[in-house]
Amino acid sequence: MAAVMRAEATQPSAIRGAITIDNVVKIYDPDGAAVMAVDHCSLDIKAGEICMIVGPSGCGKTTLLNAIAGFHEITSGRILLDGEVLCGDEKPKAEPGSDRIVVFQNGALFPWKTNLENVAFGPIMQGKLTKAEATEKALGMMADAGLAGVEHNYPGEVSSGVRRRVEIVRALMNNPKVLLLDEPYRALDSLTKSVMHEALLEIYYKNRVTIFFITHDLEEAIFLGHRVAIMTTRPCKPKKILAVDIPHPRDYSVLTSRRFRELMEETTEAVHEEALKAFAAGEKEG
Amino acid sequence: MEPVAGQVLAEQAITILKQTMPFQVAADGLLRKIAALGRRTSYDARAVIYEAGNKADDIYIIVSGQVEHALEPGAQARRPVKLLRQGDVFGWAALLEKYPHRLAKAVSQETTDILRINGEDLLRVLESDPDAGDVIMSRFATMITRDYTVPDLIAQLRRIHRRMHAGDIQGMDLTLYRFRQWIRSPRPYLMLTGFALFLSVWYLSVEVWKLPRFREMPGLTTVIKEWANPNPVYGLSIYTPEYYKHIWVSIRRVAEAFALATLLGVPFGLFLGWSKKFKEYVFPVFELLRPIPVLAWVPLAIVMFIATESAVIYLTFLAAFFATALNTMLGVQSIEESYVRAAYCLGAGRWQVFRHVIVPGALPFIFTGLQISMGVSWFSLVAAEMVSGQYGLGYVINTSYTTVRYPTIFIGMITLGIVGYTTSALVRVIGDYLMQWRTRELALGGQ
Amino acid sequence: MTARTKVLFGSSLWRGAVSIVVFLVLWEIGSLSKIWIKGDAFEWLRHALSVLGLKSAYLPWIGAVPAPTEVLHAWLAVLPDPGYWQSWYMSFFRVMLGFLAAMIIGIPFGLLLAVNRTAFGVCFPVFEVLRPIPPLAWVPASIIFWPTQELSIAFVTFLGAFYSIVINVVGGARSIDVRYFQAARSMGSSRRDIFWRLILPGTLPSIMVGSAVGMGITWEVVVAAEMISGGGSQIGGTSGGGLGFFIWNSYVGGSYEQIVVGMISIGIAGFISSAALRALGKRVTPWLSLR
Repeated sequence: MAAVMRAEATQPSAIRGAITIDNVVKIYDPDGAAVMAVDHCSLDIKAGEICMIVGPSGCGKTTLLNAIAGFHEITSGRILLDGEVLCGDEKPKAEPGSDRIVVFQNGALFPWKTNLENVAFGPIMQGKLTKAEATEKALGMMADAGLAGVEHNYPGEVSSGVRRRVEIVRALMNNPKVLLLDEPYRALDSLTKSVMHEALLEIYYKNRVTIFFITHDLEEAIFLGHRVAIMTTRPCKPKKILAVDIPHPRDYSVLTSRRFRELMEETTEAVHEEALKAFAAGEKEG
Repeated sequence: MEPVAGQVLAEQAITILKQTMPFQVAADGLLRKIAALGRRTSYDARAVIYEAGNKADDIYIIVSGQVEHALEPGAQARRPVKLLRQGDVFGWAALLEKYPHRLAKAVSQETTDILRINGEDLLRVLESDPDAGDVIMSRFATMITRDYTVPDLIAQLRRIHRRMHAGDIQGMDLTLYRFRQWIRSPRPYLMLTGFALFLSVWYLSVEVWKLPRFREMPGLTTVIKEWANPNPVYGLSIYTPEYYKHIWVSIRRVAEAFALATLLGVPFGLFLGWSKKFKEYVFPVFELLRPIPVLAWVPLAIVMFIATESAVIYLTFLAAFFATALNTMLGVQSIEESYVRAAYCLGAGRWQVFRHVIVPGALPFIFTGLQISMGVSWFSLVAAEMVSGQYGLGYVINTSYTTVRYPTIFIGMITLGIVGYTTSALVRVIGDYLMQWRTRELALGGQ
Repeated sequence: MTARTKVLFGSSLWRGAVSIVVFLVLWEIGSLSKIWIKGDAFEWLRHALSVLGLKSAYLPWIGAVPAPTEVLHAWLAVLPDPGYWQSWYMSFFRVMLGFLAAMIIGIPFGLLLAVNRTAFGVCFPVFEVLRPIPPLAWVPASIIFWPTQELSIAFVTFLGAFYSIVINVVGGARSIDVRYFQAARSMGSSRRDIFWRLILPGTLPSIMVGSAVGMGITWEVVVAAEMISGGGSQIGGTSGGGLGFFIWNSYVGGSYEQIVVGMISIGIAGFISSAALRALGKRVTPWLSLR
């Protein structure tokens, strides 16, 4: 603990948002059906890294995300954030907090608040900023993200692509260490998806938060990530970890580059194998 | 090769548009506007219509002839060369988001007649009917990816901007806007037809055809004459003060019961939905009492509340309370878990989540519940008034029957209908106002 | 302890049971207030009540209600009486009659309105104007019109459920996501296809909801109609009139415990019909319960 604190003092932005998943096991309904969703999974995510988690549907990756976020308990093992225990043996469920913010699959912007009110929500709730200050900061951040003009609309009035971006800005307002993204672009059409990817990278280059991104789309994973962890079908465990050595900043030309194709070839087989297993087991999407 | 400019016959253009994949499903009105943008040009055989890299401003529709369309490698088409004929659409790069230049080389194979439409102009026309515009653009996308075998990534179409930006329309303006749309549609006239039909059936079956079943029923004219009679035969008309007294008494009772039911029911329902423990303790008793029809309480209520006035209000309250509490609870339960989780992630505490997520999130259901509750209140009130009580519209209807004043029955029924409708509409309007976000979303998204 | 027994004796069930027991105990105490309030210890209470202008002989409202134990006795007494069961039968019969009529007419009518814009424009406003008139307000008009009393009750019952079913069918058809229609249209479906394959199955859940609500309303109306119009058949006593009549009769005859018996009986009868409807609903729309 002391060592970590010293490190933080000298390099405040370096060790910020490193997640350690240490031998985590999650069993649902332990006295009943006893479904093991996560099986002794260990994974180290570096601070400031984009870590993509790829796996077939229902394999337990969302369970991991929920455990980090604090929505679910874990059965055993522990999860650390920058050396501090989020959840472990004495404390099976982490507290949800603004240091790890989730961006949900179907979007969770509050429909009854305008986009601006949504974005300003976090700091106001936590009492960190007054309403006026938060509003000003929100306006600035939205403008930075290219979202000027939709501040006073309700989420229901703008397209889903815009909604996603607003949600990410809402998260970033709170200066989180980690962004937890649970297949955020799954429900978008491919036209919008590609725009979203570039927008996310732009935001990342400005903020350097750790990104924990769950997807089943291998192309998306390799395009965005520093590392891609391919998970086995349930129970979930890293099967193969791929380091994507294509340099950042990246843009669309990457998709047709040779290195990209090579990485796809390397990993497609592993992913496909697990997908077949999941299919055979009749997995339902989580 | 100089294109020959020409005046285009609108009908011909519409016919051709209807043959094309993207514009097939559009309504005639929209097609007319699109056709008005068209310019007819003609190309000789072997003429190069355009080359890859040229600026892309128009889309091309073949009226007659043949064109060879060869996509450049950058377009990544699986089958780059295509022979196009009458009804085919090319030059769609004018509609793409990222490629304002031509992706293909187009060469006419014989004398070819073309209808050209400027991309920008087309988009502007589509903005006037965004829903239809979206369908047309989707069809373009399908055509490009399916017929021209170009991958999704390249075929990104420009988006149609919905003209109404909700920031511009608020409150009253929105209502006026919708009213204007309504007046212009066939709806008001169909409505009048419906009423006319209904009233004429009533009139004819009683007073003209004198159908057997309808013999004892008062006719339409009888009822209206009585209603508007300064000196009513049976004692009740819009000119008599008793009429208004009865209306007022009923309204007052409903208002009291409804207010009480809302004040107690909404918080009760909110807690039922929010706190699992509370629900486990209280819900079983709630569900045990709920199936008992409110009217089955009448005798007991008379026993409990010796004064009939309180009994009547109690019965009305009971019905409304159950409806409100239940719907409020369902409203809380209907809130997507992710909203609550997101709020926690963003640092909100339990009470803040309740105030900023649960209450607004349940509001739509709450208002549906309140409308139901209003309807149920009238239902119970009338029954209670019919059975026990003096004054009130239910009382009027019942006594008019027992004292054989048939037209007054109908006066009572019609009045009930009007008053009941007005009160429900009032609840709905208040709900619409409180939930601006929903009204706007529905207004823009359409049905 | 196996997992199953753990669920059975789980805390939520206990809590529910506890609350029901507490409710019954409080009821018993309140009803018996006639007796214990006479005691010297409760002088203050009697004083407070008279100051408020209420009767001081018993606790307000609850004091006038018969106690659970008395109700139980009355119930056991009435169980062997065939007239009691005939009341059940009569009420059920009327409910079924009205409800089925409402379904048979209401569902096609609702679908017609949902599919055909002209029909909707013509019929729906009239429908909406007539809807706020409570079904019971139709009773006198119904009696004038129909030849038998039974038919007049049936008509009113029908009305009650009819509105609910039609509203839910129309609402259900309209709430089918517009994109399904657009998808079907862009894929070239004919109008027929769209009706049978998209609208009908898509509306089924709403039909089920509409029926559930309609069923509740039907019971309300039947009970009220039975109370108001004196039960249809003029056979006296507990027989023939239906449960609503049973209650009214008990009131008139001064047997208050029987009133409560009747109320609970109707509650149970209503619950049985709703449960049956829900079971039917699960069979017709199995995909919903799996969500």
